[in-house]
Amino acid sequence: MPLIEIKGAAKGYGHPGSRTEVLKDINLAVEEGEFVVIVGYSGSGKSTLINLISGLVKADVGMATISGETITGPGPDRGLVFQNYSLLPWLTVEENIALAVDEVFKDWTVAQRKEHVKKYIDMVKLDRAAHKLPKELSGGMRQRVAVARTLSMNPKVLLLDEPLSALDALTRATIQDEISEIWRQNLTTVLWITNDPDEALLLADRVIPLLPTSPATLGEPILVDLERPRDRKTLNHDPKFKKLRTQLINTLLDAKGRMKPKTSIKLTLPDILPEDLTYVNSLQFLNRAGPKRRSDSKREEVEVAV
Amino acid sequence: MHLIQRYKSESIVLPVFAILVCVFLWYLIAGKAITSEKIDDFGDKVKVTKRAGLSADLPTPVETWTASKLYVTEPFAKRGELDQGILRFTWMSLVLVVQGYFIALVIGTPIGFFLGLSKRFTTAFDPIIQVLRPVSPLAWLPLGMILFSGVKIVNGDGRTTFGASDAAALFTIAICAMWPTVMNTAVGVRAVPQDYLNVAKVLKLSKSKTLWKVLVPATLPYMFTGFRLSLGIAWLVIVAVEMLTGRPGVGGFLWQQYNANSYAHIILCILTIGVVGYVLDRLMSVVESRFKTA
Repeated sequence: MPLIEIKGAAKGYGHPGSRTEVLKDINLAVEEGEFVVIVGYSGSGKSTLINLISGLVKADVGMATISGETITGPGPDRGLVFQNYSLLPWLTVEENIALAVDEVFKDWTVAQRKEHVKKYIDMVKLDRAAHKLPKELSGGMRQRVAVARTLSMNPKVLLLDEPLSALDALTRATIQDEISEIWRQNLTTVLWITNDPDEALLLADRVIPLLPTSPATLGEPILVDLERPRDRKTLNHDPKFKKLRTQLINTLLDAKGRMKPKTSIKLTLPDILPEDLTYVNSLQFLNRAGPKRRSDSKREEVEVAV
Repeated sequence: MHLIQRYKSESIVLPVFAILVCVFLWYLIAGKAITSEKIDDFGDKVKVTKRAGLSADLPTPVETWTASKLYVTEPFAKRGELDQGILRFTWMSLVLVVQGYFIALVIGTPIGFFLGLSKRFTTAFDPIIQVLRPVSPLAWLPLGMILFSGVKIVNGDGRTTFGASDAAALFTIAICAMWPTVMNTAVGVRAVPQDYLNVAKVLKLSKSKTLWKVLVPATLPYMFTGFRLSLGIAWLVIVAVEMLTGRPGVGGFLWQQYNANSYAHIILCILTIGVVGYVLDRLMSVVESRFKTA
């Protein structure tokens, strides 16, 4: 029995009349210990897909199970790493991780929990930043904290929603290697979502393209039988890697080529900038609009198929 | 270096210049005492002092200073119930303001949280709040008098230490100062990023933990903006309240001096009220900026 299974799931947003179908006919099975990467375009429903598993979003039809049990809501057995880190800015690195540990391992002693927190801080090599606030850390370090916080809950599966998309290319490479290493040592199951085909092939056992049809659906999985540990320097010249890469990109481009009309989709951008407090006044309250966050969201033209 | 020096000197020179201009305008408008000699009906020479000017009763800056000197140089003196140093009066007012302000925060913050958290609560209570919000302190005070007419706490000597007018004063300050806290807290709760709430959901935090570990810290910057505005209003209200109730305090002193035709002291009071309000606002914004980074 696969660890995670989605059968015939579909999801749409909005009320009848102005409804957008995001996903349909989603069938996915992730075996225990497997590293699965889903690749898709921005705004094609990747986050919705992972949230079906995390439990933050409920499927309209179909069902999602973990170890055979239906997923009804979020739970600590599925560790979700958010795209924008989502560390609580008023807590230090240690406290952010402790928040998760204290909640999941309630029956442990204080010393046990402290030890556990320390173990994961060390794992992501942040022992010197343990008492710093997230704002004092670089983007890469923040994402490592987020990974540590999630892993500290001992989840059955690690769900990562475009975890590195807000980082620069060099930091991204480092963290890819680090997480890949952590996975090799802990042998947890990983479901990783990305928009970067190279990242997908570098990390995964199996890559599944999310085809940007409207609504989106999963394509044929591509088995990545490259040897581990993979070296990104030599990989670029590996004929097998090149072949897989062409195959993956062609699958995605073909699916995109079949669609014509454009639609505007609201994208939530990573929360990197602090919120802008200059807008707070009571008039805003009357207008029922909260203050603007600079990094909030923007509308972007995205092509979808009919 | 040169630039910094120039900037620094400008930031002192320009305000001083503006103050001098205002004082000069004040002097121009103010009534001046003109003494003339006159021969009265009995044929004697007498000195007659008349005030003349655009606003004949307004004392000049110098007259104001002469009349206020005693109150400023001995700010904590107590010469009588209604004749005390200006800081002593200010202190009395501040004590009352702090009490009322505290009540406002204790009531206002939870209301703000309910408004921010529950759409239904907002829909239900928003009209009431919007109607009550603009009501002047002068209108609330009489209602407070009626509401708390039975309040009377007597000390050992049979003197009332806390009567209806005290309760009404607190009520007025609290209800007027509450609104910015209510509004800002509500806006702040609504502005809590969905990401933080998702974290709480994914970690399966309990309701109380979500409140104290996520919602309250995320709302704090907004709450403190509200607290600062509330304090400003509480200080505005105190003067009106003291005038109406006749309590000793900086506002009460102002009204009493007006009735006693000692106009110089009115100006002293106004300046004191302004300076104290400014200082309070600065203090609060220091506290506020500490939370803004969160």
